[in-house]
Amino acid sequence: MTPNRVLVTGVSNPLGAEVARRLASQVPYLFGCDVADPVSALEEMDFVHADTRLSVIGKLVRQLHIDTVVHLAVMVDSPHDERSIHETNVIGTMNLLVGCAAPSSPVRKLVVKSSQAVYGAGPLDPSFFAEDMTNWERVASGVTRDLLEMEQLVSEYAVRNEACEVTVLRLGYRVSEDTSLARYLSLPIVPTFAGFDPRLQLLHEDDAAEAIIRSVMGAHPGVFNVAGAGVVLLSQAIAIMGGRATPILPPYGRWLSRLGLKLLAGVDLPSHLADMIAFGSVMDCSRSEGEFQWAPAFGSRQTMEALARGKQVELIEAPSPPQEYELQLYLQQRRRRERQLTSGQN
Amino acid sequence: MIAETTPAERRRTSKKAEIVAPRQGFRLPKPIRRLQRQAPFLALQAAGELSTRLRTLTGREVIDMNRVMEVAQFIYQQRELARRGPNYEVDDFGFDPQFTESFLPIFKSLYRDYWRVELAGVEHVPSSGRALLVANHAGVLPWDGAMIKTAVLTEHSHPRHVRALVASQFMGMPALSWFLRRTGQAVGHPEDTRKLLERDELVLVFPEGTRGTGKGFQQRYRLRRFGRGGFAATAIRARAPIIPISVVGSEEIYPMLGDLRPVARLLGLPYFPVTPFWPWLGPLGMIPLPSKWRIQFHPPVEVEQFPPSAAEDQHRVMLLADHVRDTIQRGIYDNLKLRRGVFL
Repeated sequence: MTPNRVLVTGVSNPLGAEVARRLASQVPYLFGCDVADPVSALEEMDFVHADTRLSVIGKLVRQLHIDTVVHLAVMVDSPHDERSIHETNVIGTMNLLVGCAAPSSPVRKLVVKSSQAVYGAGPLDPSFFAEDMTNWERVASGVTRDLLEMEQLVSEYAVRNEACEVTVLRLGYRVSEDTSLARYLSLPIVPTFAGFDPRLQLLHEDDAAEAIIRSVMGAHPGVFNVAGAGVVLLSQAIAIMGGRATPILPPYGRWLSRLGLKLLAGVDLPSHLADMIAFGSVMDCSRSEGEFQWAPAFGSRQTMEALARGKQVELIEAPSPPQEYELQLYLQQRRRRERQLTSGQN
Repeated sequence: MIAETTPAERRRTSKKAEIVAPRQGFRLPKPIRRLQRQAPFLALQAAGELSTRLRTLTGREVIDMNRVMEVAQFIYQQRELARRGPNYEVDDFGFDPQFTESFLPIFKSLYRDYWRVELAGVEHVPSSGRALLVANHAGVLPWDGAMIKTAVLTEHSHPRHVRALVASQFMGMPALSWFLRRTGQAVGHPEDTRKLLERDELVLVFPEGTRGTGKGFQQRYRLRRFGRGGFAATAIRARAPIIPISVVGSEEIYPMLGDLRPVARLLGLPYFPVTPFWPWLGPLGMIPLPSKWRIQFHPPVEVEQFPPSAAEDQHRVMLLADHVRDTIQRGIYDNLKLRRGVFL
């Protein structure tokens, strides 16, 4: 089934904007929704202010006769407080699924962005996480638990609605400019956990967008790990960024270290990331590579080097000034009116 | 150990040294700086002269220059490691061959001079392709694993890195976690074993686990239970031959008289040993005793006769595991007979 009417949630975050920009030329009708204004207006996209945490999202899906939903309003590494992250990830997804699951719903494809954070990170983990290695016993971390709950909701939906193809993408940790992981790694003096030098696996923004596009345009139902090839050690990553790793954080008492990082370095690292920089987390991406016949162009190390070169800034469109946004909206309306006029004449 | 390169390759991959502006501020006078630069070479020269003098005087080898060169090489390699910055590759498991090989002088001298390991049958290890090495586990700390790795890396006609499997609880410990990963160890998880074998690596597994290292001195050289034979199932699935290894001597390095369970539980360790020296002498108690070691590699047990479906058959898996266990136990008894004394 080729997607016809596509809704992208969370379109205002950088990844959502990039996905919308790439989808715009490939699908006939594109709708985007988010709480905040998009960083730059897309002419081909209809933008709606809609909060996934409210049930209005279900109405939106039904009224617009959406057949493909790309759910990117999932927060993993964001400065919001834990409560609002939980609301967005779990309640937001639930509302969206309720909207998609209505009887005689036209939704035939659902792509959900999840994250490597769903596996958490711990001392007893195997070296690689395959898709079936999620661990419900790990309840400590807020985001990990939220993502597990969210994925369970999605898998229940997939079981009940066999007509709908559901793709869950567990994207690797990303280090674009606005993530706290990137801010942590680019500190001049980086406090690390004493006695730990874990393996990190990263995903480039470009590859994340590409994976989402591929799952929207193709038919790939299932759960997939997507991350760059190879690993980069934490000490290597810090050295690539030009910082200096200082092992001063105590290996035990995670919350104390997080508080110290927040007060001294000004980086508020979520608890799942604090675990990650102690124990590391690497996924086994062979399933997605086999299914998509595609592997990310950037390996973990190249992603880090791209961040060091500042290349990631160029990939995401720079935010346009407010008046330009207004101008683009005006142009969009004008073009629509013209189109209506010509179709009326025909 | 160091990868072979041709001059043309070296020319292609070498980088021009960056021109760095001289640091401003206080600098020592030039003759002293020259002396500083030449000090290591002068010291080596002096040691060499002293060695020849002493040899002619006493008629015996008093200073072995080979050993001196090994120490110098170790220091030089550590400086080389520090100099490469982040410009090195690790594999997906976090293994860094150059880092691992830099520690070889230390383990080689332990292997040769301290425990005087006598090796038999190392030619049974294939020079290429996958194999699962299965050994008995003893001694409180896993020195036996280090010695098996050293044996294959120094004594084999095709030196290879052995990747040992480690209990996951050690991967959560500070310092140990990164050192084990850097030197090529992986977690003792069936998936990790499968992945390593699929990359045609040599994988070393101790099926006894901490039950083997944490047993008392009076229990020495009695093999513990070999788990549920998971290693045999993995070998059958990966079509990898099993090479049993008997290690004699590792039991005496720390004679474990008792086990303080409450302390172990408090520290999150599998056991807390009490030996004649630990914990009474503090860090000195961690020095292993210089027992005489013998390591025997047995002929490979082929898994060709087992179809891949046999991995699901617990009966056949346990038969294979028991066969391997018997081979190791018999090898231990044979080598104990060959050994003249514990410390001889």
